[in-house]
Amino acid sequence: MSIIAETTHRPLTHRRMRIDGWRWGGRIFLVFMLLYTALPMIWMLSTSIKSGFAAMQFPPQWWPDQPTLASYQKLLDPQNSVGQDFLRFFWNSLFVSTATTILSVIVAVPAAYAFSRFTFPGRNFLFFSVLLRNMFPAVIFLVPLFILMRAIGLVNTHGSLVLTYLTFGLPLAIWLLKGFYDNIPVQLEQAARIDGATRFQAFVRIVMPLSAPGIIATAIYSFIGAWNEYIYAYTFLSKNEQLTLPVGIQRFFSENTTDFPGLMAASFMMSVPVVVLFLVLQRYFVRALTEGAVKH
Amino acid sequence: MTILTGKADARRRLQPDRAGALRKIWEHRADYAYVLPSLAVMLIVIAYPIYYTIELSFFNTPPALQLRDKIFVGFDNYIAILTSPVFWTVTSNTLIWTLASTLIAFVLGFACALALNRDFVGRGVLRAVLIIPWVISAVAASYIWKWIYHSDFGIIGAVLVGLGWADRPPNFIDSVSTVLPSLIVVNIWREFPFAMIMMMAGLQTVPDQLLRAAKVDGANAWQRFWHVTFPHLRNVSTVTILLLAVANFNSFIIPWIMTGGGPSNASHIWITHIYELAFGRQRWGVASAYSVLLFLILMSLGYFYVRALSGNEQKDGSK
Repeated sequence: MSIIAETTHRPLTHRRMRIDGWRWGGRIFLVFMLLYTALPMIWMLSTSIKSGFAAMQFPPQWWPDQPTLASYQKLLDPQNSVGQDFLRFFWNSLFVSTATTILSVIVAVPAAYAFSRFTFPGRNFLFFSVLLRNMFPAVIFLVPLFILMRAIGLVNTHGSLVLTYLTFGLPLAIWLLKGFYDNIPVQLEQAARIDGATRFQAFVRIVMPLSAPGIIATAIYSFIGAWNEYIYAYTFLSKNEQLTLPVGIQRFFSENTTDFPGLMAASFMMSVPVVVLFLVLQRYFVRALTEGAVKH
Repeated sequence: MTILTGKADARRRLQPDRAGALRKIWEHRADYAYVLPSLAVMLIVIAYPIYYTIELSFFNTPPALQLRDKIFVGFDNYIAILTSPVFWTVTSNTLIWTLASTLIAFVLGFACALALNRDFVGRGVLRAVLIIPWVISAVAASYIWKWIYHSDFGIIGAVLVGLGWADRPPNFIDSVSTVLPSLIVVNIWREFPFAMIMMMAGLQTVPDQLLRAAKVDGANAWQRFWHVTFPHLRNVSTVTILLLAVANFNSFIIPWIMTGGGPSNASHIWITHIYELAFGRQRWGVASAYSVLLFLILMSLGYFYVRALSGNEQKDGSK
């Protein structure tokens, strides 16, 4: 009797303790990861509101005694040269990223739809060669694209960036969108076609509206990719007034390498748009990103 | 005679097929219209550059890139690469960088996904904070960490000195022995969120019934993870690890901005080295030969990637 009571009882407490152990391990781990993730960003913020003098103290202050927004004011003030440059870089980044996003969505939507719905000769080969592009680093394409852009007179224009950004924007957009189209039942289109719609009409009227979240996610992905792109912009552009943010910031702080508050403020401002965009729409974004990989 | 008829036979057997293929392509001409714009872009900006890189890799081109004056040198550029001592330094750096970044980022991301895979207060906020390093620009990340590692005013050095573990702040990224690990820490900081996102999505597909059944059968948390959860995540793990490996292999921004490959090549990886050969030292031919080698390596990685993905699709039963 007592043996039965013991054997049924003991494993239970044992198991409960085990589970608690896992839970606490998980919590401690998450706290560690939170520190690893957040401390550098807090350090960026804290430095960005220091004066140049306070940033150069040893030991450093975790949080400045006298926080100042001077660095931000300088960057956002169109009256002085630093602010002029920064705002221009910001505007250039916005222009290039928006143009890339619009173009890649327009070109990728029909292609992704075709890859999802039609079976035409060479379909698999074409789809995977599109996918394979994501394996190749920008550097491989840099020299020949530089030559190409020089030949067609696009070096030192934003056009060269938009065109090259399509090389990584398009394959990803096609892949992400295809995942969305795969999940929209074909029956919906078939119903529309029985009602007399052409295939193209069915695509535009039925499939496009249903895939709106996918298109939004894809657009964000293209935008973030173009916004953060560095190497092409660094290579193709040389005139100060054309630079995008990642390159512009570098140019301008390489002259004054000790202005860490300014550099951190600029880094913060460069990150804000994409982080906000991402956090607001992360649900769609994460779904699109993981769509293809988690299928069973 | 017999050979001739054999040929004619073969031709007769081939022809209907070929005509069939052409007819099939013609029948599907409307389908191609959808993919044509993207194919045109891809041809101009991908196929042409690949072709051109291969061509350039067999030439010596003057520093100013006057293409008319290029000289055919055969495999000299390739030989120059393989016999250069820098090649081996850079290759071992690349291997360490890629393997360490990929594995640690994957394990940390996976662990975060598991820890976040239960309900608790603040879970959504925590997840969002953990993702941010992946979204912000790598350029910004490089500057932030450069400042953190700063040899005079860096915060880590200050903490080490404060704790009495060091007499003065260490030169994290200015010293040959510590530069690569220091950069890997930055890279992992940026990449583990990607693994986390992928694995969180994967975890959602693990059937609850199976886990509950295993629990009823007396499996403990570790056994449930090892025998139920993990096998279910095999696909998404493969894809995630491959994508991470390729991304890390192709890294440029973090090493380039933080150290430019220095000190004494200790943080040069293939990509930064190629960039420096091309745009720094104007050795276009050698840089192109490097690119071709890189291309071949990536193609073989790509083969596994495509296989992992098509494995998914087949199991899914979709086209």
